[in-house]
Amino acid sequence: MFEFLFNYPRDDYARSELIYTGDWPLWLLVLLITFALAGISWLLYRRRGAVQPPQMLAIWVLQVAMLAVVIWVLQQPTLSTEQLRAGDNAVAFVLDNSESMAYGDAESRLQQAMRSLSSSLAEDSTLDMTVQHYELSDRARSVDSFLESEPSGTETSIAASLTDVLREARFNPLAAIVLSSDGADTSGGLSSAELAEVAGFGVPIHTVAVGRESIPEDIELTDVVLPSKALPGSTITARVSIRHDVAASTRIKVYNGDDLLESLPVELQQDASSTTAWVNIGLAEAGHHHMRFTVDGIPGEQELRNNSRSTLVEVADQEYRILYFEGEPRWEYKFMRRALADDEDLQIASLLRVSPNKFYRQGIESPEQLENGFPATRDELFSYDALIIGSVEAVSLSDEQQEIIHDFVSERGGSLLMLAGPNGLGNGGWGQSHIADVLPVRLPPSTTNSFFRKKAAVVMTPQGADDQMLRLGDTTDANQRSWNALPEIADYQVTGNLKPAAVTLLNAMTEVGQLPLLITQQFGRGHAYVLASGGTWRWQMSMPVEDQSHETFWRQLLRALVASAPTSVSLTASTDAGSTGVSLRSEFRDDAFRPVDDIGVTAVVTHQDGDSWSIDLVPSADEPGVFQADISPTASGTWYFEAVAERNGEPIDVARTSIHYESGQAEYFNFRRDSRALQRLSEATGGRYLEPDELDALPDLLRYSSSGITETDYRPIWDAPAVFLLLLLLKGGEWMLRRRWSTI
Amino acid sequence: MRLAYTANRYGQGNWRRQIWQTDWPDAEHHFLKGISRLTRVAAAEQGRILTPLDQSIYDFPWIYAVEVGYWYLNTQEAARLRDYLLRGGFLMVDDFHGAWEWSSFVASMERVFPDRPIVEIPEEDEAFHVIYDLDHRIQIPSRMYTYTGQTWEKGGITPHWRGIYDDHGRLMVAINFNMDIGDAWEHADWPDYPENMTALAYRFGINYLIYAMTH
Repeated sequence: MFEFLFNYPRDDYARSELIYTGDWPLWLLVLLITFALAGISWLLYRRRGAVQPPQMLAIWVLQVAMLAVVIWVLQQPTLSTEQLRAGDNAVAFVLDNSESMAYGDAESRLQQAMRSLSSSLAEDSTLDMTVQHYELSDRARSVDSFLESEPSGTETSIAASLTDVLREARFNPLAAIVLSSDGADTSGGLSSAELAEVAGFGVPIHTVAVGRESIPEDIELTDVVLPSKALPGSTITARVSIRHDVAASTRIKVYNGDDLLESLPVELQQDASSTTAWVNIGLAEAGHHHMRFTVDGIPGEQELRNNSRSTLVEVADQEYRILYFEGEPRWEYKFMRRALADDEDLQIASLLRVSPNKFYRQGIESPEQLENGFPATRDELFSYDALIIGSVEAVSLSDEQQEIIHDFVSERGGSLLMLAGPNGLGNGGWGQSHIADVLPVRLPPSTTNSFFRKKAAVVMTPQGADDQMLRLGDTTDANQRSWNALPEIADYQVTGNLKPAAVTLLNAMTEVGQLPLLITQQFGRGHAYVLASGGTWRWQMSMPVEDQSHETFWRQLLRALVASAPTSVSLTASTDAGSTGVSLRSEFRDDAFRPVDDIGVTAVVTHQDGDSWSIDLVPSADEPGVFQADISPTASGTWYFEAVAERNGEPIDVARTSIHYESGQAEYFNFRRDSRALQRLSEATGGRYLEPDELDALPDLLRYSSSGITETDYRPIWDAPAVFLLLLLLKGGEWMLRRRWSTI
Repeated sequence: MRLAYTANRYGQGNWRRQIWQTDWPDAEHHFLKGISRLTRVAAAEQGRILTPLDQSIYDFPWIYAVEVGYWYLNTQEAARLRDYLLRGGFLMVDDFHGAWEWSSFVASMERVFPDRPIVEIPEEDEAFHVIYDLDHRIQIPSRMYTYTGQTWEKGGITPHWRGIYDDHGRLMVAINFNMDIGDAWEHADWPDYPENMTALAYRFGINYLIYAMTH
């Protein structure tokens, strides 16, 4: 009907511009309109006695409207349409042939894509365009046709591949790209920068989505997050994420090599697309541990390769150094030291003020250590990984020493633990010290006593219940029971208000209500903790000798403190989820943890089978002392990296790390159709996102593409039936009204 | 905290005073003041008295007992004291003399620790050095010394500083045999009692206390 009334289809109007081809001068049109309006008004005015004013106004409107239509027609309205010039343009058909395109039931995604692309143009013989064929996976490859395409690409980088196609066609009249894909990109997804680069070529990209967004018959081990390093005998917690589209029961299994370490049942809920579980893993011995995580398949599951992930954990036989500065002999001091007595990885040196002018040192490695009291230089304090400050006044340290403590946390990345006491926290004037900024709480002023020798029960907050360092039981329930069974602590201290970034892990149930007991926050490169009690020793004295709750609490808390403290020299190797490369990042700092830049860094890369090569690391433009490189491992297995820093050709320091790498696994993960990525791509480039059943629109999208060599088509619309119908309606309406009002 | 134990049949006190109360309360009164004056320990104003079976004994990880040559710990009390010490508590015993009182003390102590020997505390032990270096130790007499000029009593001529250690080599029980540190504390204000003996007694007590609070 639209085409009958207006001569052309609605889409033609949408993609065309309305222009006027009439060559009447503007002044003449204005003169005509003026005369016509004046004439109509004068004629009606002469008959003012025969009709009422409203009737006169209606007739005036109808006559003016008809006049406007006539003048519009005289201007010869025309549709101006840009369209591709036949025979001069090309279209690139890009077929995703990565391995994820092999997935499907009766018909694979690849077959679906090939069918849709081949049929889309064959049905429209009016398109006279050159068709170029490309296969897309990690990069684009030009092919003669898709007849021999196989889903063989081990990775997918949509942006890089499309950039290849666009660069190759830079000097050719490429009208559009038609990409048929599942959108599953293994390079980390389409970033805004990549989209901007692709859109910058000005070629619209139409995307044809294949595959399913929801795959109920598949579950996927999306991610496993766990520390890459651990201390011997420690328990680490792995966060395991499972993607699913259906409720199901499965089991997470953790292997160390071939040994099954843990087996944890997991219920996948119907109303969630992802389920996260935490698995505790005990690692006793030093060395590199190849940890393999699996989830049992669900009934009907086809792709089981995404049910397993591997990673390497280095259990380092490293000794961490902790400095404990205490202002008075007290039971908390004694029992904390006893709790750590059997922990060979934690070296705790303490400086205890036993009398007003005498310090007692314990746990020192040499007679010189701490012989002049609390460290007065950055180098000396920064040699420790964590610092504990007990019941001691802030004024016992100089301004310079307090500033060094501040930098110890913010720059060195060390951990600070402040304990409560009659001279600790607010009572000790720390709220007005240089360290106040570091702490997760705003301490009350020293003029108000905030320390109370009154017993209080301890309860975990939800964040504390999830934190590995507060684990006293293997399971969530066992952990809760263990905490519930703990006796009251001997005392508590009011900490003041929490800062915005503070996280409360434990609360004390006091007679004045619930108060924060263990609070932490990150500050710069390090962390600060406040334990608002000096009375956890009651957990040791009030529980059976065999109970290890007190020892476990302190060991885990202090291990958490030191584990987050970086070393002056570090090397990390990482792979992003689904990525096929390995990123190396090394950081070199001096003893005072100042970045070292005047060095060159070379990494020796060695595979477990012995293959080895070297690569120069490039200084980071943003981070002083940081050197980086990306490498592409040539085989699966364990890779060892050694970064050697050299100055004037002489090696000055070395850092080592390792990683477990699985090649060719990326396509098995995150392989559900990513419609949103394809939509973003089309929207950014001016193309259109199409479902397979919308391919009928493709020929017109190509014909009227904004890119390529185009020509302008002019089509008049003044002679459309709708115009004459409108004129007839206007004049007929006036005639009928006049008849009705008997004014004829 | 002072341990109020049950005395054996030879150590029964009278209606006014039990034998475990010897030197009480002046000894503690003087010694606690000395602790506050000479150290940073936040000591209480007054001492406390608890029996071995009192549950709140676990809230006081340092206890003092005198005249232990007359104590008698039954099986239950011995078990409680063993548990207390193994959890981290510390016991200082004092003011018992001679072979007979020693054997009486050991009889109960062996019920506490049947398998742990009582040994002489080595010279280099931190208990003798943690604050004061007590290399030259002498016998600390009771007040009777001011009348008799004799530093020993009941045949206990040679003083011994003995102890019982835990599995980590930490001193749990400090046994001051053939001496009377408690009297030296108690009579710190007695004009005739030797000032140097009181000073040394303070040093022993403070060293034991600081050792217990640091080990």
